[in-house]
Amino acid sequence: MMVQAIAFYVFAGVTIASAAMVIGSRNPVHSVLFLILAFFNSAGLFVLMGAEFLAMTLVIVYVGAVAVLFLFVVMMLDINFVKLRQGFLQYLPIGGLIGLVLIVELLMVVSGWVVSPAGLKTAAINSQAIDGVSNTLALGRLIYTEYVYLFQASGLILLIAMLGAIVLTLRQREGVKRQRITDQLDRKPEDSVEIIDVKTGSGV
Amino acid sequence: MNSFVDLLISLPELFLVLTAMGMMVAGVYTSAGKAYTLISNAAVLSLFGAIGLVLFAKTGTTLAFNDLFINDGFAQYIKIILLLAAALVILIGDRAVRKIKIAHFEYPILIIFATIGMMLMVSANDLMSLYVGLELQSLALYVVAALNRDSLRSSEAGLKYFVLGALSSGMLLYGCSLIYGYAGTTSFTGLETAVAGASNISLGLLTGLVFLIVGLAFKVAAVPFHMWTPDVYEGAPTPVTAFFAAAPKVASMALFVRITMGPFQGMADQWQQIIIVLSILSMVLAALAAISQTNIKRLMAYSSIGHAGYALIGLGAGTKQGTTAILIYLAIYIVMVIGTFACILCMKRKGNSVEQINDLAGLGKSHPAIAAALLLFMFSMAGIPPLAGFFGKLYIFLAAIEAELYSLAVIGVLSSVVGSFYYLRIVKVMYFDNLSDELDSVTGKRISVIISLCALTILLFFLSPSLLVDSASTAASVLFEK
Amino acid sequence: METLAVFLPLLGAILAGLFGFVLRDRGAVLVTSSLLTISAVLSWVLFYDVIWGTGPRTVHLLNWVSVDKFIFNWALLIDQLTVVMLVVVTTVSSVVHWYSIGYMHHDKSIPRFFAYLSFFTFFMLMLVTSDNLIQMFFGWEGVGLCSYLLIGFWFDKPSANAAAIKAFVVNRVGDFGYALGIFGVFVLFGTIQLDDIFLAASSKAEAKIIFLGIEFHAITVLCLLLFIGAMGKSAQLGLHTWLPDAMEGPTPVSALIHAATMVTAGVFMVCRLSPLFEYSETALAVVAVVGASTAFFAATVGLTQNDIKRVIAYSTCSQLGYMFFAAGLSAYGAAMFHLFTHAFFKALLFLGSGCVIHAMSDEQDMRKMGGIRKLVPITYIYMWIGSLALAGIGIPGLGGFAGFHSKDIILESAWAADSIFGYYSFWLGLIAALMTAFYSWRLLFLTFHGQARCDERTLAHVHESPAIMWVPLLVLAAGAVVAGYLGHTVFAGGGDQMRSFWGDALFMLPTHTALENAHKVPLWVKVSPLAAGLMGISIAYIFYIQNNKLPSNCAARFKPLYEISYNKWYFDELYDRIFVKPAFVIGRYLWKSGDGAVIDRLGPDGLAMVTLRFSRLVSILQTGYVYHYAFAMLIGLVGLVSWYVFSEFLR
Repeated sequence: MMVQAIAFYVFAGVTIASAAMVIGSRNPVHSVLFLILAFFNSAGLFVLMGAEFLAMTLVIVYVGAVAVLFLFVVMMLDINFVKLRQGFLQYLPIGGLIGLVLIVELLMVVSGWVVSPAGLKTAAINSQAIDGVSNTLALGRLIYTEYVYLFQASGLILLIAMLGAIVLTLRQREGVKRQRITDQLDRKPEDSVEIIDVKTGSGV
Repeated sequence: MNSFVDLLISLPELFLVLTAMGMMVAGVYTSAGKAYTLISNAAVLSLFGAIGLVLFAKTGTTLAFNDLFINDGFAQYIKIILLLAAALVILIGDRAVRKIKIAHFEYPILIIFATIGMMLMVSANDLMSLYVGLELQSLALYVVAALNRDSLRSSEAGLKYFVLGALSSGMLLYGCSLIYGYAGTTSFTGLETAVAGASNISLGLLTGLVFLIVGLAFKVAAVPFHMWTPDVYEGAPTPVTAFFAAAPKVASMALFVRITMGPFQGMADQWQQIIIVLSILSMVLAALAAISQTNIKRLMAYSSIGHAGYALIGLGAGTKQGTTAILIYLAIYIVMVIGTFACILCMKRKGNSVEQINDLAGLGKSHPAIAAALLLFMFSMAGIPPLAGFFGKLYIFLAAIEAELYSLAVIGVLSSVVGSFYYLRIVKVMYFDNLSDELDSVTGKRISVIISLCALTILLFFLSPSLLVDSASTAASVLFEK
Repeated sequence: METLAVFLPLLGAILAGLFGFVLRDRGAVLVTSSLLTISAVLSWVLFYDVIWGTGPRTVHLLNWVSVDKFIFNWALLIDQLTVVMLVVVTTVSSVVHWYSIGYMHHDKSIPRFFAYLSFFTFFMLMLVTSDNLIQMFFGWEGVGLCSYLLIGFWFDKPSANAAAIKAFVVNRVGDFGYALGIFGVFVLFGTIQLDDIFLAASSKAEAKIIFLGIEFHAITVLCLLLFIGAMGKSAQLGLHTWLPDAMEGPTPVSALIHAATMVTAGVFMVCRLSPLFEYSETALAVVAVVGASTAFFAATVGLTQNDIKRVIAYSTCSQLGYMFFAAGLSAYGAAMFHLFTHAFFKALLFLGSGCVIHAMSDEQDMRKMGGIRKLVPITYIYMWIGSLALAGIGIPGLGGFAGFHSKDIILESAWAADSIFGYYSFWLGLIAALMTAFYSWRLLFLTFHGQARCDERTLAHVHESPAIMWVPLLVLAAGAVVAGYLGHTVFAGGGDQMRSFWGDALFMLPTHTALENAHKVPLWVKVSPLAAGLMGISIAYIFYIQNNKLPSNCAARFKPLYEISYNKWYFDELYDRIFVKPAFVIGRYLWKSGDGAVIDRLGPDGLAMVTLRFSRLVSILQTGYVYHYAFAMLIGLVGLVSWYVFSEFLR
């Protein structure tokens, strides 16, 4: 238990610290790297809770794909982040105040936490470990049965995201020469070769 | 669990999803010139097909997909409005879309997907399905807002909407997680028993609800979560703005009703306070801010904020009568908004669309038919009897009075007096100001037909209001039969 | 038939008013005049039918208002009183219609004129046929409106507009009283149906009404309030100032509205409500005193006026006074009788003077007339007949002109009333009769006799009126000659004959015997009105034929009296000083400092300013920066959360 507790606090502490650094660091590349660190630590927290599938997904999807993509974007687009931050200090006092108020309020809310008995009951039912069934299998069973609706709807969302990305970025430029295999295959000799009788001594 | 029955229950949505996907494929394999025409026609047809499916679906409340999805009279009523609005928007936008060169075949498909998202929203019976539907809708809307990628303002509109929408989604999700944390369930049915069973409402649950309501208030553009509206409405291509003003408003308002009157009915005393505050702020601010607008699309943005405020009055009443009033109001609002935007889409000078209010000067003389229709819509929005808009407001205010929210009703009436100023200003500009450069004559049979249909509906509504009122009250009663 | 008689004029008015552009002048004129003539014929048939045929009846038309106990309908009450009024109104009105064809043929908006005339007639008929107070009020206001429209018919004349407004405003004072009276009746009786009121009247005879802590006799208060309405409409002393000014309207209008019909509505109302008035001695006394005073006052003013129409107007005022004091002395039959005969001869006089004015190229000042009797013989005869009837000339015991019978019976009733109010009325009435005769003949002599005092062009142009004008007058002339003789026994004769004529329409307490005893007065009382009339004529003859200098000498000798009379006892000046000027001052003050400075600045203007300012502020807040918007959302969120957290915390 002790080891677990220590591990939890380490992971959680590093997560929060690196999250703060994401918005705090001056260099955007550093920010992305801190983000990756935060993801790793969150994955660690998942592992602690026994959700190894989620931990792996987090690492693979977020670290492997999303964060790396971020990194590329940040490095490829030469955005002047210093300029973007100019207004930051100006709004810090009032923004900080509002943030503070919100935090205080949320603390007050959380301090009055009473886990509802009904909630405990449902949680107990749902989180019963089934022997001999791996985390992945259990999730898969749930997702493709009880939550197939949400799964499909999420699929639709991704479809739209793809569609949107294409619509907003794909340009068909005029005058661009492009290879059309069918056109090439369809070509007949008559279309491209013309036989002209040329009289001797004169040009074409 | 009979999955086939589940599919039947969600047949209209399923049908739309499949046709939309089919259209995507068809669009790719059609030559670029013809694709838009083909797909937009197919989209309108499939939307009308979906309306048919909704109409002929089994009545009565049915749950599907492990209680994540609900189909009842309320959802059906809203879905018909949504589908109709989507179809009409595609129809009226036809020429404008071609003109501003956004006639990608994806446009109607995105509209359909957004509509599907809205349908999922109104059929949500779980916080998770609510969120999924909401995101489906929002994502499609972000894209269509930025559809005119050559226009800086359109891109800006899309970006603003996206960033702020993400923020509001974040709040909504945070609210959902708080609610889940304190109630122990995400299912509406479960929440209802949890809320009704609790001896005193925990502050955590309440805070969660506040976050949730804020997320929804952003979608209906209630003050102070409205700031995106004028910019997005102005920047987005006009046909898209028409869609924004019409369908998502209705869907979000319906979702609002579904949540507050459903699972959180037991907390009515608490959430009523927020709703009343939002309602008052929206009505007053919209009425005041709209006065100094010069762009008609911005004006419509404030007008839509105001209308959201009026609809929220009905919600604030928290009664069945209030819900009925909202449903009536929304149906009438859709007709007015689509008619108005159809008129705005007709405003062109030398082929280019114009959107300043001053450009309307002299419309009464140069285009008497359009001017008369716009006059009807403006009068109706201002709530002048015997036009339909008057009845919409009347039922809302009656509901407020019945619920003894006198001050709310009075503020509503006063702000609608102020609001009538800017509606009437348009009428004044059209009929009493001197002709500026004449606008082009209206082209397109479809748009003329739709304008006249909307105008006739508005004008003749009073002959038989019971048609709408009865179906609205049937739809509303579903939420109160427990 | 009843419905037709009442609604044909309305039909005519609608046709002429709304479709005048289709019908043209000629069509509009013919339609309205013919419909009215039909209506007049029907009225006479009704008259016969009600009095000697099937008797009184009520025709229910439509339900009007039904609110708890406040129930009344559109209905036509056709009883003896109504048919007398019907006959008077429709007959005079149709004569005026036909006459107007000639009189107005130069005018530019003939359909409008005839539409107004017919419209007026319709309202007058509504007034007299109503079976409840509200419908009567509807007609009452309707005739007021038409009177306003017709006085101001030539609306491009500022004086006509002013006169129209004056008539309307002064009538408003009376109508206010009338309306209060109706409210009071409803409070006291719980109904405004006339027959229900009359049934309950005797039981409420002693009822009290408490107002401001003072106890009043209820019926007296009601009757006085209603009488204020009657005073306004019938131009009685105090509220009479509009009538002379109303002569700005076309002369046929003066004849119809301001002589024969509308102004008698007040008398009609008092007679109609006789079952109510009978229970209040005080109210009756007030009616009598006001009536007698008006008769005297108006006669004195009539002596010195120079405008031919104003003279007749004051004479109308004076004659109305007679009717009122007759009613005030419970001699309702006599009042109605005089109303009936007066309608004929006064309309005749007005229309005759219209002929004169027509002949004199629209000249109304008698000082610029004279000596035209040879040129307009028919008009001259008409004016003589009218004046004889007005002065009440006849041969005692045999009969005479209309006024001879009706005025005599009034004065006899006054004597027979045998009360202080009766004697007051009698003596004032007698003196007024003398003055009436005097100014009537003054008018005749100045207009028709002596030297022509107009310029030559006018004189050359003097001509007899066309047939369309003088032929209809035959009806009135006949009425002026014989109406009195034919009617004196049935209208105001004592005993059963009169009672069988009026049926239940008029009600007199058995103790009120003025009319009954009027036939038993001493001979000198019977003869005195005639003597006064003859004396007046002789004086007029001496003044204006024998000795032309005498009038101006007299005026100089009795300058104060002359001035008072000439300036109408300074009523207009008095009202101007007491009501009009202060009202203007108060109005201006309230307008400038009250409305402008306070209400406008805090109200419309101020609100508009605040709104506009706020609107600009909101526009400024709409910066276009995403982070501002996000900020606004967060602030909103925090605000809402704080609201709950702190309200929870405080709890």
